[in-house]
Amino acid sequence: MRFLLIISALFLVCGQVQAKGDPAAGKIKAYTCTGCHGIAGYNNVYPTYKVPKIGGQNYEYLVIALKEYRDGNRDHGTMELQAQTLSDQDMEDIAAYFASLGKDD
Amino acid sequence: MLNHSKMNVLIGLLILALMPATGFSRGDPATGEKKAATCEACHGKTGMSIDPNYPILAGQHESYLIKALADYRSGARENAIMASFAAQLSNQDIEDLAAWFASQEGLEDLSIK
Repeated sequence: MRFLLIISALFLVCGQVQAKGDPAAGKIKAYTCTGCHGIAGYNNVYPTYKVPKIGGQNYEYLVIALKEYRDGNRDHGTMELQAQTLSDQDMEDIAAYFASLGKDD
Repeated sequence: MLNHSKMNVLIGLLILALMPATGFSRGDPATGEKKAATCEACHGKTGMSIDPNYPILAGQHESYLIKALADYRSGARENAIMASFAAQLSNQDIEDLAAWFASQEGLEDLSIK
């Protein structure tokens, strides 16, 4: 009984502490992203609007956005296809990389 | 041969045809700031969001913010919270809000080679 309690307590703790991705790994995995998000003022076409800035964006939001694209809950042809190629770990690493940019300069 | 006034009409029509047919005019940041009171609770006064689950809007591209709000309003982008707020906005409101948040210090425009 005590053993079970300790195990369930551990699960609760683990569930609450969400490990963030690794920005260094994310930098390598983000190579494709920079083709659009790494060019200042780059335009999306049909319809035309500027590709959103993600440098310094919130880590949690970036992970949520990628998962929405992957799961088909947010429409954007290119982003859906890109997100479908990513694992959860990839998304966390990429999000950690972009969130880290422009914070301390 | 075309006379002068016919020529002017033709040039006028040409200019009209070249204008983007978006239905949006230019937003005013100062008006947007006044309209942004509702946004503040989650996205912060200048768009630096308080809850990390919500995006930072400060410094985001104006045209992207317009697209996002228009998509929430039309239902193209689904989010229960944003849908109810966006439903109340006119095109001018969206333009003004986008102009306000875009003019604030925040997100970085990256140049990665």
